[in-house]
Amino acid sequence: MRPKHVLVDLKGQARSFFRIKSNIFWVFAFPLLLIVIFGAIFSNMGSEMVTLNVQDLDEGPGSQQLLAAINGTGMVKIRFISPLADLEQHIKDNSLAHVMVVPANYSANLASNITAPVELRLDETVSTSGTVFNAVNGVVNAVNLQMAGGEQRVTIEVGSIVQKRFTFLDFFVPGIIGLTVMTTCVFNVQGTISRFRANGIFRKLATTPMTPFEWLLSRILWHLFISFLTLAVIMGFGVLLYGMNMSVNLPVVLMIVAGSAMFSALGMIVARFVKNEETASMAANAITFPMMFLSGTFFQLEMMPSYLQQVAAVLPLTYMSQGLRDAMVYDNLAGAYFNLAVVAAIAVVFVIAAVLITKWEEG
Amino acid sequence: METVIEVRNLVKRYGDLMAVNGIDLDVQAGEVYSILGPNGAGKTTSVEIMECLRRKTSGEVRVLGHDIERGQKEIKKRIGVLPQSFNAFDYLTVKENIEYFGGLFDKRIPTDELIDAVQLQDKRDVWFINLSGGLKQRVGVAIAMVNDPDLVFLDEPTTGLDPKARREVWEVIRNLKSRNKTVILTTHYMEEAEVLSDHVAIMDEGRFIAMGTTRQIIDQHGSGSTCIVKGANDAAVAALRSAGMICEANDGDLLVRIEDKGSLPKIVGFLSSPEVTYDEVLIKGSSLEDVFLKLTGRKLAEAEQ
Ligand SMILES: Nc1ncnc2c1ncn2[C@@H]1O[C@H](COP(=O)(O)OP(=O)(O)O)[C@@H](O)[C@H]1O
Ligand SMILES: [Mg+2]
Repeated sequence: MRPKHVLVDLKGQARSFFRIKSNIFWVFAFPLLLIVIFGAIFSNMGSEMVTLNVQDLDEGPGSQQLLAAINGTGMVKIRFISPLADLEQHIKDNSLAHVMVVPANYSANLASNITAPVELRLDETVSTSGTVFNAVNGVVNAVNLQMAGGEQRVTIEVGSIVQKRFTFLDFFVPGIIGLTVMTTCVFNVQGTISRFRANGIFRKLATTPMTPFEWLLSRILWHLFISFLTLAVIMGFGVLLYGMNMSVNLPVVLMIVAGSAMFSALGMIVARFVKNEETASMAANAITFPMMFLSGTFFQLEMMPSYLQQVAAVLPLTYMSQGLRDAMVYDNLAGAYFNLAVVAAIAVVFVIAAVLITKWEEG
Repeated sequence: METVIEVRNLVKRYGDLMAVNGIDLDVQAGEVYSILGPNGAGKTTSVEIMECLRRKTSGEVRVLGHDIERGQKEIKKRIGVLPQSFNAFDYLTVKENIEYFGGLFDKRIPTDELIDAVQLQDKRDVWFINLSGGLKQRVGVAIAMVNDPDLVFLDEPTTGLDPKARREVWEVIRNLKSRNKTVILTTHYMEEAEVLSDHVAIMDEGRFIAMGTTRQIIDQHGSGSTCIVKGANDAAVAALRSAGMICEANDGDLLVRIEDKGSLPKIVGFLSSPEVTYDEVLIKGSSLEDVFLKLTGRKLAEAEQ
């Protein structure tokens, strides 16, 4: 191992990498375009249907009439929470913004002509909370009017939900970082190896004192640098343009290192086994394409059919993206380290395989 | 004189294919030695074994005094290689490419000196991808020289170049020779071998079918000189044919073999009779092309396919 050889190759990569226009596209333009396009699509979709989550502890005639009336406004869609559920936990787990609780004695109170309060809990930071309040308030007023003398029998107790709320971009942006690390590492490494082979560069390098291991190390290190650049550019974009709140901590750094090494090694393995330049590029596509769509980059895994979830469970990008999300936005360190362990283990296997199969020329 | 390369009964087999089928070779220090042969003859396989890039099946090869298997490290330090159809890094400039490869060796020639040697001063800051084929090959030669090697291998350095670019590469190769480098050159251009080399080995189907200086090969295997009569009329054709001297005729262009000292006066005699007319007469010596044709029954160019 001569560090000098590694440095020579790193310098060559540093000089040439951004002279290749397609590299600029894949490292910068592609991920930012995805964020802008998907950010626009999904931020509009959310406002069309407002869901009111209702825990009906009464389940009597009174509550059924009330809820039917609220549903009848067409302004909100009711989704029921089981009366047995732990409400606080449920709100937290599902990031609920609008919740209504009908107390157990609601129907009985109405029947006895005494005040029957319902509880409405809203997150004021969410714009649709006003819609929900108006819908519920209108129905409650109508119910009171209908009742003898228009007395204020049914009352609304408004409470607030305060919690960290995650948007589509919070979910999406860490996934795009993982996706970009994958595409740049796999395609660049595979493309470089195929091209160098066709151009006789490996045959030439074989006549120099540089070893295949030194070359491979330099390539992995360079893509590590590119992956951190990807992280910085995409994060900066999210923070500056969308005011996102993302953190870089140890698991994030380690995940970028492990993921980048894993995908660089994968590119090497593909290029070694598939000798023809075009076939190798097709093979790289065949490997990355399913990961792009099945690893939970564009939509949550829970939205996919269970057999696709099983596929996702064996795709390395699934763990990288989930780990980045856990570490960068969800503050879920346990999840982050679990995913990191999976990616690191795959990375070690891939890198060892790449080292073992890398030699200058066959024959 | 120092023997730089010594090959004895070298064999290389790919499965059932005998790519190199028992060749012997002695190359002396300071000479340009060409291996001339069609595609698939086994040239690249042979030189890449000498460059320690491929493993031999059997035989003995010594390069710069070292056995190629035991002395790999020593050999690699002292040889320079331009692989067949080599393309350097597309997005590095001429200067950066030379620096890259130079940086990998402990002993190296300054980049500027190499750029001068291949006359690329005004292209030093041009990306490799933007150079013409001939200039690319000159960069390749410069890269082959970064470690100031004693022995330089150039594998088909002019294939695919136009005649002008080819001559410019020849200049660079002559320059190598003037710097006392030993050069092994493979080519399928007969003229290139004739013009550049001190010794030539003609290779076909894994064997050397002739070797020596161009002169020696032609003397040994050539078919003598040929008299070419262009635009001959029927009377001329009839006269020469009756003497049995025509080896090839097409459309009034005749090839007449000059078999011995007496042939030429005889031809002149026929041509001077009054009913004979023709446009011009040329006398052409035998070439390596003719030797290849004679030994294999194929033309070098045809053997390509
Ligand atoms: N790595 C290889 N595996 C199998 N056959 C090969 C290999 N390299 C060359 N050959 C075959 O060996 C023969 C000689 O090839 P080569 O040495 O490249 O000839 P040349 O350089 O004279 O064109 C050809 O028939 C070629 O197809
Ligand atoms: Mg060849």
